[in-house]
Amino acid sequence: MKRKYILFFLSLLVIFSMVLTACQTEEPVVEETEEVVVEETEEVAEPEEFIFGILMVGPYNDKGWSQAHYEAGLYVEENVPGAKMIYLDSVNTADRPGTTAAQLADELVQQGAQLVIFNSDDMKDDAVEFTKNNPEIFVIHASGDSVWEEGMNYQPLANMVNTMGEMEYGKMIAGCDAALHTESGSIGYLGPLINDETRRLAASVYLGASYCWENYLGNDPADLSVRVTWIGFWFNIPGFTEDPTQVANEFIDSGVDVIISGIDTTEALVEARKASSEGTPVLAIPYDFNGACEEAPEVCLGVPYFNWGPAYVRHISSAIDGTWETTFEWLPPNWEDINDLDTTAVGFVMGSAMDEEAKVTLQQFIDELAGGLNLWTGPLNYQDGSTFLADGETATDIQIWYLPQLLEGMEGRSE
Amino acid sequence: MNPANKRTLSIVFQLGGLVLAILFVTLILLLTGANPLDVFKNLIVGAFGSTNRVASILVVWVPLTLVTCGLLVTFTTGLWNIGIEGQITIGAIFSTGIIRIFMDTSVSPILVIILSVIAGIAGGAIWAVLVGLLKTYGGVNEIFGGLGLNFIATALNIGLIFGAWSREGVASMSGTQPFPEVYWLPNFRSYNFSWVSIAISVIGIVIIFLLLTGTHFGLRLKAVGKGMKSAHRLGIPPKKHMLLAFLICGCFAGLTGALQVVGVYHRLIPSISSGYGFLGLMVAMLISYKAIWIAPIAFFFAALNIGGIQLPIVLQLDSTLSGVLQGSLVLFILLMQGVKQRVLGKS
Amino acid sequence: MDIEFSEINKSFGQVHANADISLKIPGGEIFGILGENGAGKSTLMKVLSGYINPDSGEISLGGEVSHISSPADAIGYGIGMLHQDPLDFPPMQVIENFVLGQKGRMILTYKERIKEFQTFQNKFGFSLDPRAYVESLTVGERQQLEILRLLWLGVRVLILDEPTTGISAQQKDKLFRALQLLAGEGKTIIFVSHKLEDVESLCDEVVVLRKGRKVGKVSPPYKTDQLIEMMFGKQITLLTPEPAVKERVTLELKDLVVEKYPLRIEDVNLQLKAGEVVGLSGMEGSGQDILLRACVGLLRPVAGQVIINGKDLSHKTYLEFMQNKVSYLPASRMEEGLVPGISIAEHFTLTGNTDRKLFIDKEQFRQKTQEKIDEYHVIGRPETPVESLSGGNQQRVALSLLKESLNILLLEHPTRGLDIESAIYMWEKLKERCKKETSIIFISADLEEILRYSDRVLVFFSGYVSKPLDSRHTSLEQLGQLIGGKGWEDELVAKESYEPSK
Repeated sequence: MKRKYILFFLSLLVIFSMVLTACQTEEPVVEETEEVVVEETEEVAEPEEFIFGILMVGPYNDKGWSQAHYEAGLYVEENVPGAKMIYLDSVNTADRPGTTAAQLADELVQQGAQLVIFNSDDMKDDAVEFTKNNPEIFVIHASGDSVWEEGMNYQPLANMVNTMGEMEYGKMIAGCDAALHTESGSIGYLGPLINDETRRLAASVYLGASYCWENYLGNDPADLSVRVTWIGFWFNIPGFTEDPTQVANEFIDSGVDVIISGIDTTEALVEARKASSEGTPVLAIPYDFNGACEEAPEVCLGVPYFNWGPAYVRHISSAIDGTWETTFEWLPPNWEDINDLDTTAVGFVMGSAMDEEAKVTLQQFIDELAGGLNLWTGPLNYQDGSTFLADGETATDIQIWYLPQLLEGMEGRSE
Repeated sequence: MNPANKRTLSIVFQLGGLVLAILFVTLILLLTGANPLDVFKNLIVGAFGSTNRVASILVVWVPLTLVTCGLLVTFTTGLWNIGIEGQITIGAIFSTGIIRIFMDTSVSPILVIILSVIAGIAGGAIWAVLVGLLKTYGGVNEIFGGLGLNFIATALNIGLIFGAWSREGVASMSGTQPFPEVYWLPNFRSYNFSWVSIAISVIGIVIIFLLLTGTHFGLRLKAVGKGMKSAHRLGIPPKKHMLLAFLICGCFAGLTGALQVVGVYHRLIPSISSGYGFLGLMVAMLISYKAIWIAPIAFFFAALNIGGIQLPIVLQLDSTLSGVLQGSLVLFILLMQGVKQRVLGKS
Repeated sequence: MDIEFSEINKSFGQVHANADISLKIPGGEIFGILGENGAGKSTLMKVLSGYINPDSGEISLGGEVSHISSPADAIGYGIGMLHQDPLDFPPMQVIENFVLGQKGRMILTYKERIKEFQTFQNKFGFSLDPRAYVESLTVGERQQLEILRLLWLGVRVLILDEPTTGISAQQKDKLFRALQLLAGEGKTIIFVSHKLEDVESLCDEVVVLRKGRKVGKVSPPYKTDQLIEMMFGKQITLLTPEPAVKERVTLELKDLVVEKYPLRIEDVNLQLKAGEVVGLSGMEGSGQDILLRACVGLLRPVAGQVIINGKDLSHKTYLEFMQNKVSYLPASRMEEGLVPGISIAEHFTLTGNTDRKLFIDKEQFRQKTQEKIDEYHVIGRPETPVESLSGGNQQRVALSLLKESLNILLLEHPTRGLDIESAIYMWEKLKERCKKETSIIFISADLEEILRYSDRVLVFFSGYVSKPLDSRHTSLEQLGQLIGGKGWEDELVAKESYEPSK
């Protein structure tokens, strides 16, 4: 009998917790259903429907990487007649144990998707496998390099496109912004997992920060510290990654007063606000999504963001009208106006916590970049002291994309 | 009451549990504003709508079946092997370790795969016996010991993926570098499951069925489970049998982990156990520890897992709804068993 | 409160445990229900106390039809049952068990509770230690606790199922006095027993059940022969066994010291001969069980030796004793004798796999079990789970499970809960083993049983052990006095070491 009771309570517990988790994510999504219904009725008149599916590594409303893709999907629905989005979010082994991205992409296809977007570098193996197995389906792998002929992982896949924004510029601007505001000279970079992409972005922060620190503020480079701590994934997965909240607090405790986020979620911002309200002024720069500052505008110095919409519109239109071509693209901002959402691939929104003077200086930096300033210019050394670029040498795309180490002067693990 | 009537009544109660579980989930769905009919339709279509999906069910069925096989042994012995998740993980780690060691050598890949699976079995067994030793000699309840060792296994796994075994220049949660294809279990046609895994699972069920229903050893385990002191007085050493039960369960768990590595993911990933250990506990409870039901119920649970994937795509509902359905099934069928006992009297 | 059963029926599978039982129990009486094992007494009482729902029939309380479908309902009607196997919570203290289930008065401290408890138990002359853990109590003491708890809950009808098994004569007297007191207060006492003597001395009226049916109702003065005939349907005569003692020593205890809180037994010396029967007598909890457990490796001796057939097994485990053909039959059958949830045949399979086979030959063991069931007259079938057998039948199964050729057999209350016929049969079986040179040590609360079946007797009194007494030269009165602590002076003077060390 006793065993029966234990059984009973355990299963009760299991159900209870499952109901809880189910409800948590259900609620906002239910509203979503209604929106979709509205759109469908609007588009009844459209002659041909083209369904595209997105696999997002995080939740669609993460105020970061995945939301930027989700918004781009909505942008496509608005701008490409007949296009209809379906999606699966939280596609990662921790949130969906026992599934693979390739298997989930199959599910999207079974729901009618003719084009599938894989939105994470982490899905590379699955994206390639899926692309090979489904030659009739168009695939966009955002942030991937599989069809870059000069790249290190080239595979001829006619139905795949790789697209990526040159976030290096966004991160340089963010680094500059941080340097202009730090009192202590200590900047923390909340890194996700470690790979080529994350290393080059962290390095860009450092390049931007030290350029502004020396050239605009005239400070001693030795007084600037850029420290990187990696949590292990794009966002917090309790039990599997380090807790970004904790990492942010460790930064603050060790004197960091500007935290730049390299992860998909907004812990840096939240913790900065908390610390500021408790009397330790800390500022933060989130990442990925142009609305990210809304979480805590009073401590937000701005946000470098991706704007996937124009690229997706281009590729999806070409898939519809038969002009699809496999390509790898690494898109710079529209230097005319880096915040023109119909054209730019990468942008930077200045935050309300910036002081006016810094805004002017930062705009000057942006203009310099637009004018051709290349911070990937030697002399630059790798973190281990070996030469990356000799004096006056500029880096090639390959060197930047596959940056093997952090740069000399940065603190933190390179791999 | 004659036995035939009793059996009919028993089935009626089980079905009653099923109906109650469905009603309960329906209620939850109505409360969240979803259409229950749509949900159930999508669950079914999502599970059986295409051969690909049935193949996906089999991918889940293999680990779930093997884990449940092992758990029946510990349950029979009256033990709650909550540590099963950790045992799967350690099995996967050992198995990956062997492949990493021999990957760049000239040892025949088939031999490496076999070695890797054996290492996985050993790893799971070691982790399980640790729980057993903690219980029998350390006085640590197996539930707490198991939970503790689960944490250690996860930490070790993450540590390896993120550190020592990380891909070159990468430290990512997406797992270690996939093995070359020669170290993969052969897939069945283009589907994602291997006939080897299926065969091993079927053999596992047969072994457990024979062990628990036909052998002296199985009966001794049952005696220890039902009355440890009495079993001891009858001449059965309980500690030895508990350790053996853990050992056997650990072997199955380790085997599960190894097959997930060589047959499904072809690399080590952070959530390699995929929660199948805990799901297996539910399956074991639902079938009241009767081995003959492992295959169909594990298949049913696997189908719910796969069918659940549809929910977010089509209805924007969370996939964990399948979990709610699975959990309520276990709960209500146990509940109905209790009701049945009350109605029929203790017999 | 008057209780009236009308046409109660209850079946368990093939067994008709209660068949059309109708009877009336007037309030304020001590009403006896007599019958052999499996006669349906316990079933009827479980129906009344809500543990079992009848297939048909109804119960009226105080003239009104009642609806008892759970023990809680029964308690609501003021009906409380004292079970044969106490339903308490072993890992808790006496006082906690006592407090359990009481409503209100949460603010009372334990100190006050203990005071209440002490006053209450004094009324019945019980002397339980409120802070002792229930698992450390003997079966008898646990029954006392349960009686106290039920009375404290304010039951108006008290059902006692075989309450005198396991408590000493002295405790029995106290219990009977308490029951008479309660009946005098108007409470209804239902006394279920198979012990003629108890029923005769206590009950105002007796109903006899046999094979699920009511045989008849008897009022005092009782005629023993009549009651026996009603119970068994035939006359039974007692036989006196012949001694079968050989000279060979099978068990030797040398200066043995064993301890289990709060008792310590010192310097026990005994040479048990092949075929000899030694009875351990004393009040429940005087140390007999401790000594018995030390003889089979379940309790490690503090000092001294346990030698079996010349082999020193002092610090060996129970399983090693078993390998040396020492067997033990404990008192709490379902806790440490038989495995609940497992059938009789499976028990024989568990103990009978001598040739270490992998697979079970089910047919072979079924046949073997059927033979044993027939031999020991067990009411049940090979596939019957042991927990659904009556207490007496469980004991028969436990006995039939013992290996054929044993050196030593240790028994705790071998005939507890058994009717006379079964008890006699049991001893016939045991004596057969003695003829095959098996030695027996047994504990019993029944002095007649001790004197009738033992060759020698050890008397226990709160940790003291007497010299072995020859049972042929010991009278019931002598034994009774020793158990009660009288007549020990010679012993104590003769052996200094019996001084308590605490």
